[in-house]
Amino acid sequence: MQRTMGSTRFFRIGIPGKLLLRVWVAGAVLAVGGIGSSPAASLPEKVRYNLHIRPILADRCFACHGPDEKKREAELRLDLREGAMRQDDDHAAIVPGVPEKSELLLRILAEDPATVMPPPASRKPRLTADEVALLRKWIEQGAEYEGHWAFLPLQKEELPSVRQLAWARNPIDRFVLSRLEQEGIQPSPEADRPALIRRLWIDLLGLLPSPSQVQRFTSDTSPDACESLVDELLASPHYGERWGRHWLDQARYADSNGYANDGQREMWPWRDWVIQALNEDMPFDRFTVEQIAGDLLPAAGRRQLMATAFHRNTLINQEGGSDREQFRVESVIDRVNTTGAVWLGLTFGCAQCHSHKYDPISQREYYQFLAFFDSTEDVNDTGPTIEVPRGEVFGQSAVGATASTAKLMIMRELPRPRETFVLVRGDFTRPDRAAGPLLPGVPAAFLPQLSFSARVPVESHSAASRLQLAEWLVHPENPLTPRVTMNRIWMRYFGRGLVETDEDFGAQGAPPSHPELLDWLGGELIRRNWSLKQMHRLIVTSATYRQSAHQRHDLRQKDPRNQLLARQERVRFDAETARDAALCASGLLDRTVGGPSVFPPQPEGVYAFTSSGGSGKWRAGTPEDRYRRGLYTFFFRSAPYPLFTTFDAPDFQVTCTHRLRSNTPLQALTMANDAAFVELAQGLALRLTEDVPGAVAETLEQRIDHVWLLCLCRRPTSSERSLLKDYFLRELEACSQDVAAAEKLTSDALRRRVTPAEAAALVSLARLALNTDNFITRE
Amino acid sequence: MAIAEQVHSPELNPDRILLNSTRRHFFRQCGVGVGAMALRALLAADAAQAAASPVVDPGSPLSPRVSSFRPRARQVIFLFMAGAPSQLELFEDKPRLQELSGQKPPQSLLSGRRFAFLKGTETLLGTSRRFRRHGGCGMSLSELLPHHRRIVDDVCWLRGMTTDVFNHGPAKLFMNTGFQAHGRPSMGAWVTYGLGSSSDNLPGFVVLQSGPRGPRGGAALWHSGFLPTSFQGVPFRAKGDPILHLKSPEGISRQRERDFYSTLSELNRSRLGEIGDPEILTRINAYEMAFRMQTSAPEMMDLTGETAATLAAYGAEPGVPSFAANCLQARRLVERGVRFVQLYHTNWDSHGGPGETLAGDFEKVCREVDQASAALVLDLKQRGLLNDTLVVWGGEFGRTPMGEVRQSVGRDHHIDAFTMWLAGGGVKAGVIHGETDELGFGVVDGKVHVHDLHATMLHLLGFDHELLTYRFQGRDYRLTDVHGQVVQAILTETQLALSRPTQFRFGGPPG
Repeated sequence: MQRTMGSTRFFRIGIPGKLLLRVWVAGAVLAVGGIGSSPAASLPEKVRYNLHIRPILADRCFACHGPDEKKREAELRLDLREGAMRQDDDHAAIVPGVPEKSELLLRILAEDPATVMPPPASRKPRLTADEVALLRKWIEQGAEYEGHWAFLPLQKEELPSVRQLAWARNPIDRFVLSRLEQEGIQPSPEADRPALIRRLWIDLLGLLPSPSQVQRFTSDTSPDACESLVDELLASPHYGERWGRHWLDQARYADSNGYANDGQREMWPWRDWVIQALNEDMPFDRFTVEQIAGDLLPAAGRRQLMATAFHRNTLINQEGGSDREQFRVESVIDRVNTTGAVWLGLTFGCAQCHSHKYDPISQREYYQFLAFFDSTEDVNDTGPTIEVPRGEVFGQSAVGATASTAKLMIMRELPRPRETFVLVRGDFTRPDRAAGPLLPGVPAAFLPQLSFSARVPVESHSAASRLQLAEWLVHPENPLTPRVTMNRIWMRYFGRGLVETDEDFGAQGAPPSHPELLDWLGGELIRRNWSLKQMHRLIVTSATYRQSAHQRHDLRQKDPRNQLLARQERVRFDAETARDAALCASGLLDRTVGGPSVFPPQPEGVYAFTSSGGSGKWRAGTPEDRYRRGLYTFFFRSAPYPLFTTFDAPDFQVTCTHRLRSNTPLQALTMANDAAFVELAQGLALRLTEDVPGAVAETLEQRIDHVWLLCLCRRPTSSERSLLKDYFLRELEACSQDVAAAEKLTSDALRRRVTPAEAAALVSLARLALNTDNFITRE
Repeated sequence: MAIAEQVHSPELNPDRILLNSTRRHFFRQCGVGVGAMALRALLAADAAQAAASPVVDPGSPLSPRVSSFRPRARQVIFLFMAGAPSQLELFEDKPRLQELSGQKPPQSLLSGRRFAFLKGTETLLGTSRRFRRHGGCGMSLSELLPHHRRIVDDVCWLRGMTTDVFNHGPAKLFMNTGFQAHGRPSMGAWVTYGLGSSSDNLPGFVVLQSGPRGPRGGAALWHSGFLPTSFQGVPFRAKGDPILHLKSPEGISRQRERDFYSTLSELNRSRLGEIGDPEILTRINAYEMAFRMQTSAPEMMDLTGETAATLAAYGAEPGVPSFAANCLQARRLVERGVRFVQLYHTNWDSHGGPGETLAGDFEKVCREVDQASAALVLDLKQRGLLNDTLVVWGGEFGRTPMGEVRQSVGRDHHIDAFTMWLAGGGVKAGVIHGETDELGFGVVDGKVHVHDLHATMLHLLGFDHELLTYRFQGRDYRLTDVHGQVVQAILTETQLALSRPTQFRFGGPPG
């Protein structure tokens, strides 16, 4: 029996008269106020589609009555107003103003399992009384639909008024505080100076400050101490490394081609381009246009050509017998999906094989979007390249004849564009030629009011298209790019975005926790000429950002996941930061920016577990390779540097907009036993003897202070101090009794300064500090 | 009760005692109980769904948990034949295909089917292997699997397997996570999430690898996706230390190392008291587990204690990495209470190219796998472990009835019909379930889709696959997505009674 609602079939054939009668009985109960009357007291004055209704319909109804025409039951779609209002034999799912006549409500309330919605077979839970009451009131109020929030223009909101105006340092705080005040929650006090400087250094540079820098900041009593520090950090060349790494993740940057052969490639000049662009604070709109279509700019110089390597980070399959066209199509599809995820925050990929189930992207529109990228020269091969000597992007001249030069892969359009067709079920061998070649275009429903989309020339399939796509992405009327971009920046600072599903701003994604704030941030980005540094400064100097990360008893009940931002969040370091911070603490960090990727020592047999099967590609590292920042470590897609994988770095087969943060025994073993970290513990121990020279007994307290300062930017608490001291003394005792064992744990440099026992005990102390949860956590 | 639980009594394990006492300390004295409770409440946010979903104690995420209803299997060993073995060379005797070998396949069988590499000009390919029927069930096995004859009546043959995805990486993801794109939890993670683990010194989900290379797809195949990362599979290496960085730095004795870990716990606990983040508890537990793994993992991997007879039965040699050694490790892992063990063996990808022929290369991989697969089932049975342990054998898809012409003639990827087998854990023994058409193109009876396999596995482990969910990004996700039917016909008991109400335990030794 047909059991979907609202269709002709349903009304004419599907339901025998008796059942229909029962529906009407249920309707009568509703009419006299059975369901929906009790919780009415708590109903909002104005029921909003996006806020209240859409989540209910999306969860229970859209799978069968939504955008996917293939899965649509009974020709009814509830995601569009006209669909829901459609008259069918005098019935309509929704009759505005008349809940008693709205089939939607009647079917939801029906008792008969054959009639009730959602049908029992769908295993979707029935609507709760509250949900029914909301629906009812919404229909009463006229059942007004709103477009999906993410596709609506950025709303220009007045700054909300707040009672504790003094707490707010900038507009961000007004939005956050206004919400907190509504909920009766107090914000947290500002973090203390040591926590703040460590937080700012880690967030902006991914490095740890030196003890003297910590001391300078903690003793700076000027009211704008924090702002001065932020300006100093934003001017550092290491800012581009830290924020560049986030961008490299999204660009699925790696140093190898991927797939089974996984041969090496030379993409590092593009990585350096990113670092330099961020350090120069290249406006994000230009940053976008140069990377998507720098080659098509009227006056494209070498820099603009280098920028286009963004989309050459796709995989190349070098396996014998692989079909070039197949893997060319794969990379074009990846360029579409990456562009969708990075700029638009949408899961385009779903529409590759079928029209999107939840978002308004038809399969045809997917391939129209794909047409923008379909006509470049590369065909699963190196394709066009540009020779870039080391240092060029930083404006340095090549040093001597030995300087490295890379052949950087770039984008270039074919003189005659390819014809793009819908690929049936996403299969490259099945172009739908009958439907004709497609012209490039963006999905119509995204931005209905965007007149700009019409400017993409429909008569021409020419090379200009990709450039126009790039300009469309950052057109001020396009609300997705600024929202998505600001949300990701926010996510790095608070551990979670205002929209938690940073990669999905579509109908299935989470709604923003602070929609007005998100829109204000997006608008501000445009108003500030897309300056990322200004946006960083705005966020990290806000009172919201500066709050302490201490958990609070009251919040555990009211806001256990800290969505209202009444405190900061503790965030575990990224993989590279875990290494870089230890390099900082040990004093061994090589601060060289840019250049070819390096091969620090790694354990034997890393390839045994990969599909490249132990081909031993790791070049033995030169001494200069040993202490560079993590982002310069050569990245083989098939066998990443083990530390990275253990700490949740992705394998960069596809774009990664945010990393997972796991907490596993393997991380413990890495931090405690990896030869690289033992070496850093030795470096840290040596530094203790150098910074605090003297006899072991006299220096102990000071060295304990110092190791904490180097690693955590703060002094130990009294209980920490006694734990550290007792442990050191036990280690000293044990090492004195077994000098041979002690020597194994120490370095030559260390033994030249102190006795083997003292040296070993100091290494143990340093190792302990590097292994604390606090060390690898930004608080 | 599994042998492991008797031998490794948790009460007698000093680390366990320490762990329990420290845990009590946290909950009583650090006020963390509130945070943990809040998280628990959060995980249980959706009351209706949460009724059957496990409640995880963040301080002890791997503590054993009770399933929704009485489980028949308590642990799983999944022998993953990476690259996809040809069912037509191993399990499917097709006289009609032999007859028509060399001819174009009937168009009716091709329409609507999709292949990875075929050009459309290929012809049907009969096998060169000889088949015979074996055992009470009369399963046809080719000459390439002589040892499988010994377990023919101990296993349940699924000849009607189908999947949706025909490239290796995505298909392996699909077989493991029920979804072809990255990001979903693997079944090992789901099972460990549902049941925790009975081992307190080994990870709950262990992955072993053999063959010339690792499986395509890599770590995504055993990833925990959006589930807490404690449920992620931990790969053990076959050579050297089973786990990278397992050994303490040179010159540090075990006793001093205990001191290191204890002091570290105290320091972390002190920070926890200051700042109150329950994630610190997870970190403390991760370190304690790491310390225990330093002894338990090498002990587990060391096969020298196995009798010569056992080693010979598997064809394993201590210290020599092989699928056989891994099968023996798998038994040792489940004996020690590990919940989910997954073995990957490459390379079954018989396209006909170099290293991938249906001749010598295929024979080689059969030899590598045949004896130990059978030995594992027999060994588990002999030790009384097979009742509790579900063994799964198979690849990510099957191979085409048409030949694929490369340097030699091989077979392409085929998603519409292939063979897997199950043993133990509440599955009928000596049963052939499913049948394909006379050419092996499609399933005519007893079709088991990957989602159905997942549903059935979870059922055997005591879960309704529709109710073992995890709420993520506003949606209740499950291993079977919105699909899956339990294959009732292969269960030893068709309807498992609800023996007790849903209840979950927080820590403590298994009951």
